Amino acid sequence: MLPAPAAPDAAHAASGIKIHAVDVERHFGRGAKRVDALGPLDLDIRTGEFCCIVGPSGCGKSTFLRIVAGLVKPTAGRVEIAARSAHPAAMVFQDYGISPWKSVLANVRFGLDIQGVPRKEADARARDWLKRLKLADFADAYPAALSGGMRQRVSIARALAVEPEILLMDEPFAALDAQLRTILQDELLEICQADRRTVLFVTHSLEEALLLGDRVLVMSSRPGRVIAERVPPFPRPRTGAVRTSPEFAEMQGELWALLRGEVETAAESAGAQK
Amino acid sequence: MSDQVTTPKTAENGAAPAAEGAPPAEMLLVRRPGSAELDPGKARARRRTLEIVLGIAVPLVLILWWQLAVQQKWIDARIYPAPQTILEDGWQRLVDGKLWPDIWATLKRVVPGFLLGSLAGYVVGLLTGSMPLVRAALEPMLDALYVVPKLALLPIFLLIFGLGETPQIVLVAVTVFFLIWIQTMAAVLAVPEGYREAATVFGANRWQMYRHILIPASLPPVVVGLRLASGMAVLVIVASEGLASPNNDGLGYLIFNAKNIFDNRAMYVGIIVVAIVGVLFSELVRYIGRLLTPWAPDRRGPGGA
Repeated sequence: MLPAPAAPDAAHAASGIKIHAVDVERHFGRGAKRVDALGPLDLDIRTGEFCCIVGPSGCGKSTFLRIVAGLVKPTAGRVEIAARSAHPAAMVFQDYGISPWKSVLANVRFGLDIQGVPRKEADARARDWLKRLKLADFADAYPAALSGGMRQRVSIARALAVEPEILLMDEPFAALDAQLRTILQDELLEICQADRRTVLFVTHSLEEALLLGDRVLVMSSRPGRVIAERVPPFPRPRTGAVRTSPEFAEMQGELWALLRGEVETAAESAGAQK
Repeated sequence: MSDQVTTPKTAENGAAPAAEGAPPAEMLLVRRPGSAELDPGKARARRRTLEIVLGIAVPLVLILWWQLAVQQKWIDARIYPAPQTILEDGWQRLVDGKLWPDIWATLKRVVPGFLLGSLAGYVVGLLTGSMPLVRAALEPMLDALYVVPKLALLPIFLLIFGLGETPQIVLVAVTVFFLIWIQTMAAVLAVPEGYREAATVFGANRWQMYRHILIPASLPPVVVGLRLASGMAVLVIVASEGLASPNNDGLGYLIFNAKNIFDNRAMYVGIIVVAIVGVLFSELVRYIGRLLTPWAPDRRGPGGA
């Protein structure tokens, strides 16, 4: 059930490449029902890089994330991860994925419990992250008592508490309203700039990608491939204020022009299937 | 209940019907707090009281009606003894200490059988729910056994285990086992993939997957299953004691023996005691379930949440 630990690739580690994807493809289904979801995809993500992937629905961006996480295997090609441990990643899911039967503290401690961190240390680390995500007052509450934004904060705290080598975020803010999303984006920006982690962030939102990413990859409609790559020219540390800069609007417009055609293709093919 | 008040803008005294053909007079719709908003505590308490009163009043009215029907000779008191007679008879038996041995005998069979069956059902349910190969191996066979009426197995159990308490306990255990097994398996299969995936990414091993995800996630529906099974357990033990009670004791024996010797009052007493035992058993299971699943909302109407 568990993915075999990949041998750390000395060559990649030396070159600062954390994730190296070669000709990655993924199909679902067989025969006439076969869907080519992804690829072939070639991609390098450097250690400490915040990489955002945007693309139309169904372009396989989430599938790629799940391949990196070890939840899905590629049907062709391979992904090499220069890892120090067998489970280098933590993932933040769109629909929270936090456990309703665990208190907020226990949820944030979850990854540490799995890794066998002693209870006392795990509690201290979890409480530290609760404080950073403004959840300290809710440590003993159950998720059912929290709002959507709070739950997603719990999910982020849970992922960061294990101090993962790679943080995978699958449209983490998609279920939130626009205002809350802005606030959480700013919070994530602050946290990620403080500890420079390798982050792979999948989103629909160009704005989100440009704000957060060191690099933004635009994927085509299914089967997803990288069709464009941009480096937002905003120096770190950034704040949410870059949203209002003219370069931001310009790049957003440029990427949208690229993406729009793909979104329309994706919508048409989805319609044709029905 | 209604929190909306309509006030005609023009006339003070109610909504005057508009004249035929004329456009309807303009109304001023006012939404304002009702009694539930103005004093939530009191409204809630009143609601709760009403619910409790209804819960007691409905059966009470039916019982009084029964009493009246007997007294007025609408129904035959030999077949339907008056509630008062049954109560007096039951009370007398209780005071004389004649009921306790039967209650105790039934509990001695139903409780161990329930515990045994639910534990086994839960373990097998977890395994079949979480491991496709175990499910493939066991599900068809267990499905076939499930549809066999359990009471029909009593003769076999009597043959295998002899005339002691064991056949009765095994019968209850087998009944409970199938209910809990199916409920647990369905609950494990219904655990959303996202919960498992989060644990997988963190590198959870099999035991951690059970401990952190599958067991807690499957518990709320299993608790519901346990409550259903507690009722079934009482049902089965009463029937099986009626068919073959080792020491001629137990509530089931009391009821069926009373029927055989035309002691209708004793029969009704037995039935009422069974009902009381069943309700207490089911409530105990519910209470334990609450303790096991403190995060789950209690579906007991608006009173608890």
